Amino acid sequence: MKKLAILFSPCVLTHRLLLRPLVKLIFGVSIIGREHIRELDQFIMIANHNSHLDIFLLFQILEPDKICRTHPLAALDYFRTPAWLFKTVDFLFRPVWVDRNDGSASFPEIQARLDKGQSIIIFPEGTRGETSDIQEFKKGIGIIAKDNAKIPIVPVYLEGPERSFPKKASFPLPLLNHITICPPQILRGDSSDITKKLYNHLKKIADEENKFRQHRVKKSLKPFVIAVIGIDGSGKSTLSHHLIRFFHEDCCFIGDDLELFSNGKPHISQPLITNELRKWVGRKAKKAKNLKLYKVPKIAELLLRDQLLSEVERWYRPDYIFMDGAPLLNIIAWAALYRGNFFNEEVCAKALDVLQGRDALSSDDIIFEQFPELVGFRKLNLNHLKLPDVVIFLDVPPEVCLERIVSRGKSIQAHENLEKLTKLRNAYQIMCHALSVHHPVCQISGDKSLDQLAQEAILFIRRVGRDTHEKN
Amino acid sequence: MFHNIPVTPLVWVFGGLSLLVFIKYILRLPARVEAYLKHLWVYFLIITAAELTGFKVSVWILAAVCFVALREYLSLVDLRFQDRWGVWGAYFAIPFMAYFIQIGWYGMFIVSIPIYIFLIIPFLVALGGTKTEGTVFSVGAIDFGLFLFVYCAGHIGYLILYSTWSTVLLVLNVTVSDSIAFLMSTTGKGPWNGKIIKYLIAVPFTAGLSVLLITLTGIPWHHSIIIGTIIPAIVAIGRYAMTYIEADLGIAEDYDHLRRGKLINSSSSLLFTAPVIFHYIRYFLT
Repeated sequence: MKKLAILFSPCVLTHRLLLRPLVKLIFGVSIIGREHIRELDQFIMIANHNSHLDIFLLFQILEPDKICRTHPLAALDYFRTPAWLFKTVDFLFRPVWVDRNDGSASFPEIQARLDKGQSIIIFPEGTRGETSDIQEFKKGIGIIAKDNAKIPIVPVYLEGPERSFPKKASFPLPLLNHITICPPQILRGDSSDITKKLYNHLKKIADEENKFRQHRVKKSLKPFVIAVIGIDGSGKSTLSHHLIRFFHEDCCFIGDDLELFSNGKPHISQPLITNELRKWVGRKAKKAKNLKLYKVPKIAELLLRDQLLSEVERWYRPDYIFMDGAPLLNIIAWAALYRGNFFNEEVCAKALDVLQGRDALSSDDIIFEQFPELVGFRKLNLNHLKLPDVVIFLDVPPEVCLERIVSRGKSIQAHENLEKLTKLRNAYQIMCHALSVHHPVCQISGDKSLDQLAQEAILFIRRVGRDTHEKN
Repeated sequence: MFHNIPVTPLVWVFGGLSLLVFIKYILRLPARVEAYLKHLWVYFLIITAAELTGFKVSVWILAAVCFVALREYLSLVDLRFQDRWGVWGAYFAIPFMAYFIQIGWYGMFIVSIPIYIFLIIPFLVALGGTKTEGTVFSVGAIDFGLFLFVYCAGHIGYLILYSTWSTVLLVLNVTVSDSIAFLMSTTGKGPWNGKIIKYLIAVPFTAGLSVLLITLTGIPWHHSIIIGTIIPAIVAIGRYAMTYIEADLGIAEDYDHLRRGKLINSSSSLLFTAPVIFHYIRYFLT
């Protein structure tokens, strides 16, 4: 008799005859895992929160006799006015009213309802999220679960309300909603542990469901350029080649030669004339007897290398470009060999701006007296060199490098001696310091194994890649 | 040509289907077959309703089916927040189209969606927000859904207005072609992989069925045979196109439990075929 009275109470009737059919008709609901909740007498239900529709969807899955005995938590400040809204919400759901400024004040009320044998619905995110992603959970759910260790927790994942009626929307749209009810869980342990576990559980389902969704492919046409810099013999190209194996996308390596990789394996493509020209100029530079003769062909080689970067972007469209040195950075570091007495961090920062064409320096600035080559670059309009997205500086002591160079058995270039390499290494350090103020630079000391180096570099690249992706 | 429509066989077919849908719990069919059976039942409900209760009712049931199918499609497409007005526009087109079919205003029915709604939707999408990126994709996605799931389905409604038994012929022939394609499902991809064989196997069945139904449909035998040969070909084309669309929408990965795209998966062949057969019948036989 009592059961009948519950089934025919106005609240249950409104839900079963009006709200449920209406939501089903307009929005459409598909439910998986109903059997997980059918037999449960009391539970704490948690769900992701993206929309005002969420609560109506959760009331779709309740058994008729539990409609009156299940109460959501609701923010009092949000629903207090107007009066009709407050009355309607109170009539339909009899929520536990929560003051969002002092969440713990509602704990006694929640506990009282649970002690009476009633069930609770909690959105642990606290408030509606902006996107379909799940926000961090608030601490409350862990505390409540810990205090009521015997009551099972039912995680529910709602997919669809974030599209049919998102937070910013002024009107709902008829779009399908999928409800996934997970098996009830009894969790023990620290309250923060419970919160973490529940979060991970819901997040996992969210990721699984998300896998099915269509996503507009937004392939960036601009490749991600990674420059590995360091003095000769520091193992730049070895590291680059090692790194490429970890990238499954289309990669390109610009070193002494141009190499293309797909899925970590090399493949052949149409040759570029700029590359052939650059290789020829590079060979001339390597044959130079002294630094004076080295300068012009080396600069030409670097400028061609910069040109090559845009051509690779244009013709091969790779996802990642790995560079053995970066023309912009190499030119600046090499200035230390020719005009070491003026070389410092401030000059580096200025030169970086000048060579990228981003400076607002007047032509009588002191830097143009100290480094007259910059005037030439400016006049010839060669001041549009590209700065790589990520710079990885392999810091290896010159002695080690020299040993490696000798053991290669090739002819030794004009600058490959201890004094020059030490100077060059210092220049790279100063420049990296100047660069790292505004730009991602990863300085790795080269005394580790190749795998360790690669691991460190990959972590850094992935992090920067994610950051830039988010920024876009 | 289309007078004295025999209703009794229609009621028998519908009754049989209803029984099948009712005992599906005992049969334990695969999810896709079950969804297909349901969709077939709905179309026979529309056709039978036209005869038993009047054309009005059946058109508005069809409009409801269009709404459900379009809703299913739009739930799967990755639309932007600011396309919401455009989506509203797409939904609003359904009752108008249904009304034009109901009053038999052919000219307006045939132009309303491809002319007026297709011009309004880009405007609504543009009104929705300030972000320009992805506008073309959104307009295209909404238009395609509206075209296939509303406009093409609308042709079935108009075909019922012409001749009930031609519609039965269409639905049955599509079902036969679909069943053969489903039973012979090959794993290979590529436009010609098994398609021709499937077509050649389906043609005797569909053409035979069309000839068998001549007394009911009233379509001359040579036209019946032509319709019987056209239908499996368009079904093959439609199914092939939809494999790509379903894969993109994430329905293909979901075939086992088929939560998403039930109606899209079962009705796409019929929706591809309906306009072609409708215009064939309209051009040659009315």
